[in-house]
Amino acid sequence: MAIQTSSDSWREPPRPLRTWSPFGSLKRTRRLYNVISATIALFVVAFAVFPIVWTALTSFKPESEIVTTTIRYLPETVTFENYQTLWSRSDYPRLLRNSGIVTVLTVSMSLVIGTFAAYSISRYRFRGRGGLMVFYLVIRMFPFTLLLIPLFIMLRKIGLFDTHFGLALTYTTFLLPLCVWMLKGFFDGIPPDLEEASRVDGSTRLGALVRIVLPLARPGIAATTVFIAIGAWNEYLWALLLTTSSGARTWPVGLQLMVGEFQMPWGTLSASGIVSIIPIMIGFAFVQRALVSGLMTGGVKG
Amino acid sequence: MSTGAPAREGQTPRTRPKRRFSIVDPLVAVTEGRYWAYLLIAPSLVLVGAVVVYPVIDGILLSFREYRLNRPALGTPWIGLEHYRTMASDPIIRTALRNTLVWVTVGSISQFLLGLIAALALHRPLPGMALARILVLIPWLLPSVVSANMWRLMLDSRLGVVNDVLIRINLMDTPRAWFTSPDWALFEVLGVELWKNFAFFTLFIMAGLHAIPQELYDAASVDGSGAWRRFRHITVPLLMPVIVAAVILRVIGLFNSPDVLLILTGGVPGNATQTISLYGFQTAYLKFDFGYAASISVLALACLMAFTVVYVRVSGVTKE
Repeated sequence: MAIQTSSDSWREPPRPLRTWSPFGSLKRTRRLYNVISATIALFVVAFAVFPIVWTALTSFKPESEIVTTTIRYLPETVTFENYQTLWSRSDYPRLLRNSGIVTVLTVSMSLVIGTFAAYSISRYRFRGRGGLMVFYLVIRMFPFTLLLIPLFIMLRKIGLFDTHFGLALTYTTFLLPLCVWMLKGFFDGIPPDLEEASRVDGSTRLGALVRIVLPLARPGIAATTVFIAIGAWNEYLWALLLTTSSGARTWPVGLQLMVGEFQMPWGTLSASGIVSIIPIMIGFAFVQRALVSGLMTGGVKG
Repeated sequence: MSTGAPAREGQTPRTRPKRRFSIVDPLVAVTEGRYWAYLLIAPSLVLVGAVVVYPVIDGILLSFREYRLNRPALGTPWIGLEHYRTMASDPIIRTALRNTLVWVTVGSISQFLLGLIAALALHRPLPGMALARILVLIPWLLPSVVSANMWRLMLDSRLGVVNDVLIRINLMDTPRAWFTSPDWALFEVLGVELWKNFAFFTLFIMAGLHAIPQELYDAASVDGSGAWRRFRHITVPLLMPVIVAAVILRVIGLFNSPDVLLILTGGVPGNATQTISLYGFQTAYLKFDFGYAASISVLALACLMAFTVVYVRVSGVTKE
């Protein structure tokens, strides 16, 4: 039961017959609420977006305009030197590539494992099903540090420490609950009759899943993919501990390493921030509607 | 309706065309067998077992041992409750617990309030609101490394735009050195945290608002209820389950993730921004004292569990 969020389904407020209203006529009351809402929305959006705009502006400023006593809001001279420095004179391209690999690994593992689990929970009523859903939630409650140390020791023992795969395995586990929740919501929205029909025609259960359910759930799967990808792409603390060399280090760790003690390379930092959030923005823009509905279904029902 | 509960699988398969022997037969046997539902779950259970359950147990056991990564000569002897005794007299633990209480309480309440106000405003069907609903979600999707450093730049005492704006509109006379006052640093980081996570509540509450049938409001209006009464008697009660779920998720998030604090202050000035999760992390990461860090984490887990139990009891929701 996905909750519709498409903007065209937002209904016009109805016209009530009679209402007591503190501001005189009803029309004026409604207009007043509209003005208040619009003002609040404007402020909230400005609050949410301003830091990103400011970082973008900073990334196009030359050093002399960033480190200055008289702050200029818009760059006087637009320069790309911060981006050039980042690209040619830092480790950043490699860090982005590492993050990309880890993200792709995480997404593939989460989707395969998560699809199976979510499908099972959505379609079958078996013993322990309810407990399983709660259990997935409880995973989020364990303190990061408690898991971290044994995992650190374990990964070192089995040789997955400081590897893309080791990091991806960890991310998969922690993103799995959310992945299962979202996918279950999307699978619930597909009528089981279709699989019944295909099974009567002699298809196996696995065949029905692959040929009937997955194609229908494509928008939901896309949204889940993006959400997991964002989670893996953004992650900082695990990566900080589970990678040590530039061979597996991801960009959030690298970015934080650029931060010096005294002299902050603000221009390059801003540029790297902007570069690394572009994929997030693009991904979010593509699946925004299904993503929001998937998150909300998981949230509202959970 | 399920396509075939495991219980039903004792029956012989239905009209299946006659097949020759093929190598996929064993696979078919598996997918049509009675344990299929469990088989689908198995990979996720194995992964969770290996990456969560085993480390949790191991971590709890570790809290009873001496384990210093930088002093391998010590070995990993069993020391019983020694770490917990140390913790009882560790002044940083007390500060961290107090700060965690402030961090979680002020954090979740402030994010909830702004999230609620934003959701109520954005829910109104006005032109441009669809775009606004997307834009407010962006901070929540951004990586903490980028968000924290964005704010570090904006709150820099010399170069920061926030000081500049506040001075221009005459709210301050001199630039403020953010994150340096022991009394205010925690609240200043909470401001950044508010920016980063209020949209989490907005998202949930907008979903909740959208699920409320418009007919209820229509009926109330016909009965002559004003806006406040409609809000009080329709919106609030029907949003309650969503809010209760969102709050517990956010509390867990605030409690367990030290990344914004770590990047912005690292616990300083003094221990004014030290929280229990940050202290645990730093004990492991900077002091390499794994045993003590594990026992701090056990304390954190106990606090969070206790809170969750009380919260679920008091709020009267049992998750499905």
